[in-house]
Amino acid sequence: MDFTKILEMLAGGMLKSMGIFILTLVFSLPLGLIISFGRMSKNKIVSFIVKIYISVMRGTPLMLQLLVVFFGPFYLWEANIGGPYRFIAVILAFALNYAAYFAEIYRSGIESMPSGQYEAAQILGYSRAQTFFKIILPQVIKRILPAVTNEVITLVKDTSLAFAIAYTEMFTLAKQIAAKETTFVPFIVAAVFYYIFNLLVAVIMEHAEKKLNYYQ
Amino acid sequence: MKKKILSVLLAAAMVGSLTVGCGSNSSEEKKDTAPTTEEGKETTEETEAKTETITSVAKKEGDTFTVGFDAEYPPYGYMDDNGDYTGFDLELAQAVCDLKGWKLVKTPIAWDSKDMELNSGSIDCIWNGFTMNGREDDYTWSDPYVDNSQVMVVSESSGIKDLAGLSGKIVGVQASSAALELLQDEEGQKKLADTFATLQEFPDYNSAFVELQAGSVDAIAMDVGVAKYQLETRGEGYAILDEELNTEKYAIGFRKDDTGTRDQVNEALKELVKDGTFTKLAEKYDIADMVCLKAE
Amino acid sequence: MNLLEMNHIKKHFDDLEVIKDISLSVREGEILSIIGPSGSGKSTLLRCATMLETIDGGEIRYLNDRAVYMGENGRAVMPKGADAKRIYSYFGLVFQNFNLFPHYSVLKNVMDAPLHVQKRDKAEVKKEAMEWLDKMGLADKADAYPYQLSGGQCQRVAIARALASNPKILFFDEPTSALDPELTGEVLKVIKSLADLHITMVIVTHEMQFAKDISDRVIFMDKGVIAQEGTPEAVFSSDNARMKEFLGRFNQN
Repeated sequence: MDFTKILEMLAGGMLKSMGIFILTLVFSLPLGLIISFGRMSKNKIVSFIVKIYISVMRGTPLMLQLLVVFFGPFYLWEANIGGPYRFIAVILAFALNYAAYFAEIYRSGIESMPSGQYEAAQILGYSRAQTFFKIILPQVIKRILPAVTNEVITLVKDTSLAFAIAYTEMFTLAKQIAAKETTFVPFIVAAVFYYIFNLLVAVIMEHAEKKLNYYQ
Repeated sequence: MKKKILSVLLAAAMVGSLTVGCGSNSSEEKKDTAPTTEEGKETTEETEAKTETITSVAKKEGDTFTVGFDAEYPPYGYMDDNGDYTGFDLELAQAVCDLKGWKLVKTPIAWDSKDMELNSGSIDCIWNGFTMNGREDDYTWSDPYVDNSQVMVVSESSGIKDLAGLSGKIVGVQASSAALELLQDEEGQKKLADTFATLQEFPDYNSAFVELQAGSVDAIAMDVGVAKYQLETRGEGYAILDEELNTEKYAIGFRKDDTGTRDQVNEALKELVKDGTFTKLAEKYDIADMVCLKAE
Repeated sequence: MNLLEMNHIKKHFDDLEVIKDISLSVREGEILSIIGPSGSGKSTLLRCATMLETIDGGEIRYLNDRAVYMGENGRAVMPKGADAKRIYSYFGLVFQNFNLFPHYSVLKNVMDAPLHVQKRDKAEVKKEAMEWLDKMGLADKADAYPYQLSGGQCQRVAIARALASNPKILFFDEPTSALDPELTGEVLKVIKSLADLHITMVIVTHEMQFAKDISDRVIFMDKGVIAQEGTPEAVFSSDNARMKEFLGRFNQN
């Protein structure tokens, strides 16, 4: 296989990795917020259940969670796991896992907000939803952005775990080409791809941080 | 190995029932939120029961036939210059599908998860230089089609000439491979393996060969077909020991109860031997001296 | 008409009784100062009036509209939904620590609630907001962000923000306590200018001279009760022992 073909193959694989990356963020960022509400809920049962959820998601390997999400429905309910479910399982497992991490990041941000902000909003007559989305959340986002950037960069590299349930993203393709070519060249190309993508992510996040620097 | 995977999966399934329950609000699923130890055991039994109750249904024309394979296993299953999956086994599978009017789906799998993939029905068979010896009771097997042997690859400069020369050496082997099972089997070559300094497991042959070249391992155990492909593409400097670890057979592994599909594939293979397609493919992949499937 | 009526208010934190059965009312156009030593309960009383704290007994009315009362289970019933919206529109509060929204410009801080809570016309809201900022001497800071302002300027923005919602009554919770001494003057001056506009105000403060100058009525609170109440002249010259001790300590500082 010539070098341009390797590049072409891995670029195609990179698109699949980016698909995992983008869909995971699309689902886990809002889900994490909802989970953080559950974690901070005054209802003790809800907050306890969510606490266990977060503990399990953070305390077990993502690779194992992928296996459970993909094979679990069959072993538990004899569900058909063929066809598109493989990809759905990848996104589901990644989103559930990352939402747990994001939930804790949101929580740290929300709990760090001074109570005066809530009080000022209350006195001015803002509803609870307005208070959260107009006053609290924008400030929370600014506070948690560095922690979110860390997770997002980890996610780029974690996409390679999708092969645990045979979803051939970029790193898996690199391994397969390496086996066929009996060289390490595809891995070097893969490393460059990951690095460039992460560089892009870092630049975007830095830009976002700068944009939010208009206030302190 | 299979038992190990099963136990991991069962642990995982229990974790799964917990997490699935937590993630939902419906009262129906809330029952699953706190599995006691006993419920966990029930799950175990259920799982085993279900594994055995998948019914065997023969395939019809137009059905899909999903082959699970390790895409890092040339010449049997690997990626070609165009980035498509190919190899002796996959081309043979294609020929079977052409004959039967099935649609072939090539699914590269994580070799460690092959049993879960097969039992859950996400693949129809494992067809990928799959050694049946030692695994006779774990799958429903097709007729064996390749006489394989497990061999040792050493670097020429090492001076190792026979299996006895491996005493006190570091030997590499692919994780979950037939070679590993053989070296861990009391009735196989465990006695030989006990003379090694270390039996080192590798995820893939690339890293194993780099270590061999670097001298951090002294020999690698693998299938002879794989060994030939590796030596051919890597060039000078390596040797296969004449003394073989064993001889064994490759066959296609189906789900335990899936004799229906197995019989159909056997039938098709015999026809492919008769019309010469089988031999032609064996020659194309340079393993004509190893194939063993007869028309009768 | 009484804009605010607080009847038999009680409040305790755990075992500590902070407000012991206090009743007071505020007339339209009146300026009421509440003074007293730290821990006397004056800030808590203000936080109860503005519903930042839940009372443990009594009743609060704005413009004879019942805001907080004791339910059958013995717990205070706070206004909800449309009731809350109406009742919160009766008053404004200026905090000790300003509590401006740091991510909003000065103008947006002032405009946002009239616009999105009261749903008023944008052009009108902007015109009024600029007028208030002008009265506060901050017209040139409309586009600045809170972090770019001094404490005194922040507090003046907070006053403009409170006024922009057109409250009937404006509360001040120690409005100069978080400020450097040289900045308190500008804030007190602004509050005095509001008196000229006949805005009803309730001011919790440590600035005795200011309280004396501006108030129609002064309440001296001590240990959770109203110890003295009356015109500034009467209260500041009273021979109440606690009041004398309190003023004496102040004069020493």
